Amino acid sequence: MRESGRALWLGKKVWSFLVSLLVLSVVVFWVSRLAPGDPLVSYYGDRVQKMSPQERQWAQEKLGLDEPIPVQYLSWLRRGIQGDFGISYKYKTDALRVVRMRMGNTLVLGGLGFVLIFVLSILLGVFCAWHEDSLGDRIITGVGTVTSCIPEFWLSLVLILVFSVFLGWLPSSGAYSVEKGGGFSDRAIHLILPVTVVVISHLWYYAYMMRNKILEEVSMDYVLLARSKGLGRGKVLFCHCLPGALPSYLSMMAISVPHVMGGTYIVETVFSYPGLGTLAYESARYKDYNLLMLLSILSGAVVILCNMAAQAVNEKIDPRLKAREPAKDWEVRGL
Amino acid sequence: MSNLLEIEHLSVSFFTPWGEVEAVRDVTVSLKKGEVLAIVGESGCGKSVLCKSIMKLLPRTAKIKSGRITVDGRDITGCGEREMCRLRGSLFSMIFQDPMTSLTPTIPVGAQIGEAVRAHHPRIGKAELSARVTELMTLVGIRDPQERGRQYPCHFSGGMRQRSVMAIALASDPAILLADEPTTALDVTIQAQILDLLRDIQKKLGTATIFVTHDLGAVARVADRVAVMYAGKIVEIGTAEEIFYDPRHPYTWGLLKALPALTEGRDTLETLPGMPPVLCDLPKGDAFACRNPYALDIDYEEEPPMFAVTDTHYAATWLLDPRAPRITPPIGGRGDGR
Amino acid sequence: MDDKILLDAAHISHVFPLTKKIAVRAVDDVSFQIRKGEIFGLIGESGSGKSTIARCVMNLCRPDSGRILYRGIDIFDSKEFRANKSLLQKSRQIIFQDSNSSLNQRMKVCDIITEPMRISRMTPARGSYREEARTRMSHVGLDERYLDQYPSQLSGGQRQRVAIARALSAEPELLVADEPIASLDVPIQAQIANLFRRLQREHGFSVLFIGHDLAMARFLCDRIGVMVRGRMVESGPAGELFDDPRHPYTKALLSSIPIPDPIRERGRKVPEFREEEFSRDGEWEEISPQHFVLQQRRRGL
Repeated sequence: MRESGRALWLGKKVWSFLVSLLVLSVVVFWVSRLAPGDPLVSYYGDRVQKMSPQERQWAQEKLGLDEPIPVQYLSWLRRGIQGDFGISYKYKTDALRVVRMRMGNTLVLGGLGFVLIFVLSILLGVFCAWHEDSLGDRIITGVGTVTSCIPEFWLSLVLILVFSVFLGWLPSSGAYSVEKGGGFSDRAIHLILPVTVVVISHLWYYAYMMRNKILEEVSMDYVLLARSKGLGRGKVLFCHCLPGALPSYLSMMAISVPHVMGGTYIVETVFSYPGLGTLAYESARYKDYNLLMLLSILSGAVVILCNMAAQAVNEKIDPRLKAREPAKDWEVRGL
Repeated sequence: MSNLLEIEHLSVSFFTPWGEVEAVRDVTVSLKKGEVLAIVGESGCGKSVLCKSIMKLLPRTAKIKSGRITVDGRDITGCGEREMCRLRGSLFSMIFQDPMTSLTPTIPVGAQIGEAVRAHHPRIGKAELSARVTELMTLVGIRDPQERGRQYPCHFSGGMRQRSVMAIALASDPAILLADEPTTALDVTIQAQILDLLRDIQKKLGTATIFVTHDLGAVARVADRVAVMYAGKIVEIGTAEEIFYDPRHPYTWGLLKALPALTEGRDTLETLPGMPPVLCDLPKGDAFACRNPYALDIDYEEEPPMFAVTDTHYAATWLLDPRAPRITPPIGGRGDGR
Repeated sequence: MDDKILLDAAHISHVFPLTKKIAVRAVDDVSFQIRKGEIFGLIGESGSGKSTIARCVMNLCRPDSGRILYRGIDIFDSKEFRANKSLLQKSRQIIFQDSNSSLNQRMKVCDIITEPMRISRMTPARGSYREEARTRMSHVGLDERYLDQYPSQLSGGQRQRVAIARALSAEPELLVADEPIASLDVPIQAQIANLFRRLQREHGFSVLFIGHDLAMARFLCDRIGVMVRGRMVESGPAGELFDDPRHPYTKALLSSIPIPDPIRERGRKVPEFREEEFSRDGEWEEISPQHFVLQQRRRGL
């Protein structure tokens, strides 16, 4: 019973995941093809302007762009299911390979940013809750509200201006400098500014959530009981309140992955950081259809998966289910 | 017997954006060793605040304005948080109204009791600790202590949770137990069980208890002495017999008369007219005057002092002044009227 | 008292699934009748299913089985319900325990009180809805100056008065009161109970009173039904139930009411009702006119 229930639950999730991806692919496919622009430009470059109509016709046939959109989509889908996502027009090689090359950079930037946001927001949240309404809390709250309102691209530009142009301390773009050959320290230096922007623009939102969640827990009756046992405030906060606040925080962080990912994409384009973000931007701009589709499907999959994970966490920790289920059982036996 | 706890002229106020709320006004009360003192009053009369100010668990907006709290001959009014942490649990501990919210939902009940033991015996051994937890759980009447200790509060019914809270409160043998409406949130039949448990434990361990409630029936069951509070002040205090059989304050009359248990077969319930005053804008004179059918002119001018009826019985009403007109109390004698 | 039956609930059962595996029989084969102009009390502890019954009577919840006839109308039959919709909605009103959450915080007292009239498109007999609200407020003993205030500005007792005024403004025939006084202080409870009784005399509506306080139920109700864990175990006229309780649960419930008399109360032993010994099945037996008891089948015999 239990096993089959779990399998059913999993089956439902997989099914809704697949359907969402399918819908996403249809929409992106259509919209990208309806948008103005010439995909041949990204393949042939400037040569396109000199092409005769026959040559154009031939080129379009070669890239499979001469058929009606539904037919194009179906053939794309057929090949996609087999793992063939076509070639990138711009790079003239397998789209999957292009993505694979760039993915590492994005994972480093996004992952580092995410971990920093996760850890720092807990620390900040706990700090602010602990010193609620003190000067420190008020300053952090004020600064945090301002930073979370600053758009990423603007913040990036300001930081580049200050640290790269005026002070000249940090590089303004790229993942490594060509002349130094991309050693660890070189890459690390290049990461500082983009990671800072990703963290600063998202950190406060989650720290504030954490702060409020803990404050909510602190106002509960059980805190009074714990303190009347003779426990200190710190012990109560870390042993009693934090475990209560963490599950919902985790589910929130799962939802935050797409947000951070979106932020990373923007930051990448501003810093010309060679990651998926810049790739996606280029592919959309130059009508590199196959690459664009692959990137959309990948990003979409991450977003949907994270939302599902958050949903699953929430279902697991729903306090109403937890509190009500066994209590009835015991009321019969207890007392 | 000496006084274990003495509260002298205690005033506590909340400072809110809407002004100062005088929750406790000039309260003087004492608690002897091994005695149960009940504090009775309507919600918002300051009885819970009184308890929390003894424990120093008041919210940040509240301040002890004046007065002194002495426990065992030692003034704790000026004690800091670190000192209070040492005293809480070992000298006094507290039971709260709603057992559904007063246990931490994420920690097994046994561990929560163990934590309370360890708070004051940090070097206690593991075996010793679990033995003590089992002992405490047995004391408060939880069956299968070992198994139940591993369960989370959500697996416990209301009555069982309140028993667990009692086990936590008793973990370090406190001299004083403050019970803030421990039965209000429970079902009637379970209320009686918890009251009996409270009384049994109190007899067994000799813990002095302050029992805060609005239920006069519960008071009759457990209390040795009773203090009636109204609008932040104690208006009448005496032994249980004195308060139930010979009440002197019109507010106490009103409280007793309003009990449906005493209105058998009558057509309407006796009531106190009106509502308790808002504590941030108290009227001149006696705060109870506008609800008092026996109010004298002076009640609107000046607050009555405590008049002594006997050595143990005091009431703050001008009716006890020798110059006041004689009034036959509407209730009293054998009290039950059956 | 009119002997005509206003509400006839027969064999109501309702099961709440908690999880996929566990379900709770919130209401289990409960039958009762409310006559015109009668106050019927349903008494039980938390989780005994009394509020579920209130919800069923108000069409807020559909029982899994059983039938409720209100003035001969089957309220769970969608055809009959639709045909009599306005009558059913207007003539049944409910008051909840927690007036803090059951009154809309963003509506003024005046609008709350007259809302049922506006919904059922009653023309205000006293000229305007505002005037109507003023009269209703004076009926429940509320001062006029609260007319334009919001519920959060009132005390618990006052809010409960507003809830009563709101329920009565549609001039209902049946008032369902789900623990209307449980969250109030004792003196305020007495005020509201008196008000309730006075209004009931004046207007003559029937009441389904739900509570856990037997002493209060005795004062308010004509007949009382006692519920344990979804079962009704005893029902009868209030006085008789008090003087001659038959079911062990009723006895336990009665004796656990503390008497405000220290000398008697201290020595008194409260008999314990062991739920594990309570069997859900048994047979209804009429031991005297209108006094029914669920006779326990002896176990092990």
